[in-house]
Amino acid sequence: MKYELVAGFETHIELATNTKIFCSCTTEFGGEPNTHCCPVCIGLPGTLPKLNKKVVEYAIKAGLATNCEIAEISKMDRKNYCYPDLPKAYQISQYDMPLCQNGYVELSSGKKIRLNRIHIEEDAGKLIHRKGDTLVDYNRGGVPLIEIVSEPDIRSVDEAKEYVEKLQLIMRYIGISDCKMQEGSMRCDVNISVRPVGSEVYGTRTEIKNMNSITFIAKAMEYEFERQVDLIESGGKVIQETLRYDDVTNTTSSMRGKEDAHDYRYFREPDLVTINVPKEQVEKIKKSLPEFPTQKLKRYVEEYDIPNTDAQLLTKYRKIAEYFEEAIDGIKTPKTASNFIIGQIFRKLENEAEKEEFNIKVSAKSLNELIKLLDSGKIKMNLAKSTLDKMLETGKNVYELISESDMGGIDDNTLLELCNQAIQQNPNAVNDFKNGKVKAVKAMVGFVMKNSRGKADAVLAEQKLIELMQ
Amino acid sequence: MVTHEEVQKLAILAKLFVADEELDKLTKDMEEIISFADTINNASVEETNFDNINGLSNVFREDVVIPSFSREDILKNAPDNDEGCFLVKKRG
Ligand SMILES: [Zn+2]
Repeated sequence: MKYELVAGFETHIELATNTKIFCSCTTEFGGEPNTHCCPVCIGLPGTLPKLNKKVVEYAIKAGLATNCEIAEISKMDRKNYCYPDLPKAYQISQYDMPLCQNGYVELSSGKKIRLNRIHIEEDAGKLIHRKGDTLVDYNRGGVPLIEIVSEPDIRSVDEAKEYVEKLQLIMRYIGISDCKMQEGSMRCDVNISVRPVGSEVYGTRTEIKNMNSITFIAKAMEYEFERQVDLIESGGKVIQETLRYDDVTNTTSSMRGKEDAHDYRYFREPDLVTINVPKEQVEKIKKSLPEFPTQKLKRYVEEYDIPNTDAQLLTKYRKIAEYFEEAIDGIKTPKTASNFIIGQIFRKLENEAEKEEFNIKVSAKSLNELIKLLDSGKIKMNLAKSTLDKMLETGKNVYELISESDMGGIDDNTLLELCNQAIQQNPNAVNDFKNGKVKAVKAMVGFVMKNSRGKADAVLAEQKLIELMQ
Repeated sequence: MVTHEEVQKLAILAKLFVADEELDKLTKDMEEIISFADTINNASVEETNFDNINGLSNVFREDVVIPSFSREDILKNAPDNDEGCFLVKKRG
């Protein structure tokens, strides 16, 4: 029998606020243990939480960016469990009245992964296990989180990967989190079940906790899918349980114990008042959001005539899109800017992380100047290209690299003279050409370009050379 | 009706040890607590908005950092500490 994978995600994302969710301690990553703490975030009796305004604003942004409805009224609840990473023995979270509901994330196939909810809550401290004892660092305790809960709409490992990447990109685009999985500012719990293809009923699901790398998520899902299918095929039954993924052995194992205590006895947090988000505030936040990648993509294709695949590369990271938009300000050929960015500039960037950083020596303004010279015909494409390479090396602007006399190309007489020179000084190439090696002309074009210091028009030079040799 | 098993389960969730001989009394106490909650549930409250009983909403704090406490102060009340961390000893 053929089985299909059914998966849903619970994604925790740390918000990039300055302070924690209920106190004014810094949220900075790292730092000596227990130096970003106060009586509130270590849960001393008698302290009172005070909600950070930015947390609500950021969560609303996340909700709007994922097509959620924003609740006019929501509240905080206590989720009770005893564990050393939680000094109060409860986590302040949201239970039945979350801030955002009923959203979706659209994959490149057009498929929508529905979001059940997004709620705000506090992060727990960090535990360091040592010879049976446990050391606790509460620097992370109280750092604001959003938890994004998807419906079980994911049907393959590839969809899962795209979903996580997409969330990451969206949250970074709107600037509410850096979503660094290796630093734990984005973590996923994955619910997995299997069912015969065509079946409408969900199978029993297991939950793999706390995954902090897309590669591990993919491997763990593949492993867990196989495990469940094998179990069912051999007449066994999947037990609903919480699993831990071990990246060394590439296996999942039960986290029993913590699972038994899955009775959180939620109740309303009496120390915090209702959160009321008027429609006007939602509208205001909506206006403050940057244009989303999908909207940008559409605009680039329709307004600037950029091919879809190129537009995808330009819109993937916010910094590149912003750079592109600044670089094409007032120019006639946005496509040229796109080609320069995707071609010569991308070649300077080694990987996706560097593309996202987009730390290059040429400012958008410099690129804009270069393209303006090209647009106005003052320089030719080949000179523009070689100049851009120099700009990328040196960080100098176009006017520091090309003098006025270099601009304006060369006149027809000079071109004719250079072509004649090329013919005289390259008898072998001329012979090759006459013997039918059409490509030989390229070497001679190179000669003309070199001797004109890049000012000649390569296409014209080629035409002229062929004309002269025939 | 509250059962011994329910009381034991709550005790486990709260990490409390309850001896068998205490169960009868605790179960009776728990029943009284719950019946008190029932009394409240039976009160006529149609006009009351329980989602916002104090009539307050939107009490926020600005996102401005205030220096944290010194680690010495943070760890002062901890029964035990090591390497700048709270130390939770292995049980048993
Ligand atoms: Zn604090």
